[in-house]
Amino acid sequence: METYTYVNIFETKGLEYLLLMSFLVLLVLFVRYLREPGGKD
Amino acid sequence: MNRRDFLKVTGVAGMALTGTDAKGSESSSPSPEFYGVLVDTTRCIGCRACEKACATEHDFPVPDIANDGALETQRDTSETAWTVVNRFDTSEGEVFVKKQCMHCWQPACTAACLTNAMYKTQEGPVIWRSRKCMGCRFCMVSCPFDIPKFEYHEWNPKIQKCNFCFDRLQEGKKPACVEACPTDALMFGMKRDLMEIARVRIYNHPERYVHKIYGEHEVGGTGWLYLSAVPFEEVGFRTDLGTTPYPEYTRDFLYGVPLVLFGLPALLYGMNQMTGSDNED
Amino acid sequence: MSRVTTISEQGGFWSFLRSQLRPRGKILTPFNVISVPIILLGLGILVVRFTQGLGSVTNLSQEYPWGFWIGFDVITGVAFAGGAYTITFAVYIMRMEKYHPIVRATVLNGLLAYIFYAGALALDLGRPWNIINPIIGNSFGFNSVLFLVSWHFLLYMLAELLEFSPVVAEWLGARRARRILSAMTLATVIFGVTLSCLHQSGLGALYLMAKPKIHPLWYSEFIPIFFLVSSIFAGLSMVILEGTLSHRVFKDQIDPKKHHSFEDLVIGLAKGAAIAMFVYYFFRALIFLHDKQWTLLRSGWGAWYLLEIIGLVLIPCFMFAYGVRHRSLGIIKTAAVLTLVGIVLNRLNISIIAYNWYLPVRYYPSWQEIVVTMMVVSAEIWVFRWIVLRMPVLREAHELPSDTQEKPERAAAAASL
Ligand code: SF4
Ligand code: SF4
Repeated sequence: METYTYVNIFETKGLEYLLLMSFLVLLVLFVRYLREPGGKD
Repeated sequence: MNRRDFLKVTGVAGMALTGTDAKGSESSSPSPEFYGVLVDTTRCIGCRACEKACATEHDFPVPDIANDGALETQRDTSETAWTVVNRFDTSEGEVFVKKQCMHCWQPACTAACLTNAMYKTQEGPVIWRSRKCMGCRFCMVSCPFDIPKFEYHEWNPKIQKCNFCFDRLQEGKKPACVEACPTDALMFGMKRDLMEIARVRIYNHPERYVHKIYGEHEVGGTGWLYLSAVPFEEVGFRTDLGTTPYPEYTRDFLYGVPLVLFGLPALLYGMNQMTGSDNED
Repeated sequence: MSRVTTISEQGGFWSFLRSQLRPRGKILTPFNVISVPIILLGLGILVVRFTQGLGSVTNLSQEYPWGFWIGFDVITGVAFAGGAYTITFAVYIMRMEKYHPIVRATVLNGLLAYIFYAGALALDLGRPWNIINPIIGNSFGFNSVLFLVSWHFLLYMLAELLEFSPVVAEWLGARRARRILSAMTLATVIFGVTLSCLHQSGLGALYLMAKPKIHPLWYSEFIPIFFLVSSIFAGLSMVILEGTLSHRVFKDQIDPKKHHSFEDLVIGLAKGAAIAMFVYYFFRALIFLHDKQWTLLRSGWGAWYLLEIIGLVLIPCFMFAYGVRHRSLGIIKTAAVLTLVGIVLNRLNISIIAYNWYLPVRYYPSWQEIVVTMMVVSAEIWVFRWIVLRMPVLREAHELPSDTQEKPERAAAAASL
């Protein structure tokens, strides 16, 4: 019936931080893309 | 220690536990302990006397239990039947399971209710109070067992669900279904005592039961407890509900609300002041 | 320049009101021809609904206690109305004067959306007369998310009403009242933004306890945050579309000077939406990773999920960015439409489609539910039109040059240079 096993709920933390870093890089690229060429801000 | 020894020891422990049981019922102080019912599905013969008693007690159409063949289909509780018995064909043969409100210890339905119409009483029954309810059906969305039922065809609809015969309990009587059960498949008492009895039954007959008491921890513990000979998934129970009391899922959010109300207006005002030039306002 | 009729000119409040109630413009417009029968039919359905019970006109069931009226009218409608708090935040808190010309129309839209969509909530109540219970205090269910949401609806409507009230005061020519009400604007905006953050997320929090019923690809303990963030870009997309529409429909009301700045405005809004969507997409991706949901992708639900996340979040996000970069209003509008479809899909997924996804029975809205929804929307448009044609929502009030009123014009002029 019920079994007792260790469940690591933070298994994906490494991946999550990778995602975060790629997000930050992509965000910078994205924001730079959004700044129209020669546009006035 | 092998399994047999273990059971011997726990058998003794079981005796000791029944001892405390007797002592516990001596103290008649109005302790805020909750009532419960232990449903031993291995004892249920599917006679549906409980359904009949419930319908009679609460003025619902009384089912013709001898002839209506209701066991041939899987039924759910409804706005005219607070409890139903279903038959399951399992590896261990036919199993009958009674279904009704579980009277959760920390019910999702009462946490959901914005008028306190769903109400957890001191004694344990979760009751519905018609004067307060506004019929939003949030209790139905929230109940993990899908128990509250709504009268969709009334201009003044009610929520219908088992109320643990709250009126009878206050008169010192047992719930109608428990009283009607001819095989003692239903046992009424304090949950603490019922847990001990359930454990003793499992210890004494380890081959007859799966070693789990449904309702011990499910959704934070329920008032109604179930024993079964087959895994609970096979007889219509959800075993993926978790052990967290359901109100806990909204706790962080509701906790955060005053926090936001304290902080955000001040923050917004600050931002506004920072962006302004000196000559404005 | 249209002149604002004031009470003093007309003498007497009632004759003024009567003059304002008279229809303006053509009566047999296509919209009128469609909406009037819908409203009448909807009212008929409501009579049946209140006498025979909800089940007589809806497909609601014990398995699906909340259907189209909640899932679409309330939950989606409120997300669409998110523009009001986003724009008031930008204009009054961050003082982005560029958006001042649209602030009134947006606030009006938000106000009406709340009145009508929260009103739709009352239609869905089985015992609506008891709605008084959680309000007057004989039964406060503090423990309920719905309690919070309904109170916030109520308070937010008040805040919106106050934000909009200077316009009404202008219309009535009540100078003093207008000054007092305008002075309260910052306070009401702060209050309104705070309440919006809480109830936009609160609508998501309603589903927190429905954990075992919602497909794991859509359930997350972060639903409140998702709802909040997505309400920002839903609101902005709605503002873009509404702005375009009212621009066309109410052309004679709008100061021609502002036509130029309009393109700038839309591009600015599109930028905001693009960034909000970009962030939202990664939020969802984070949950996807944390819950290791890639195993769920192989079912039909997975494809449905990808359609929502990639097709109706990521792609419109890039379209917004592309539209901004190439100054293409057409692409931006298309992106706004896709975004709104995505929001509808997301809200309906959580409230209906992926709710009780494992059950053999499914819920589809009945035609009556759809007609009533259309009735609510048309009624809102009627009121919106009535107000816009009479009050200085889109045009400026030239009769009252007293105080802050020059500011937006200056800004509009500056932006159109
Ligand atoms: S089973 Fe459902 S209705 Fe009964 S107490 Fe628990 S949450 Fe409430
Ligand atoms: S339907 Fe009634 S009992 Fe259920 S949550 Fe709403 S107000 Fe409470």
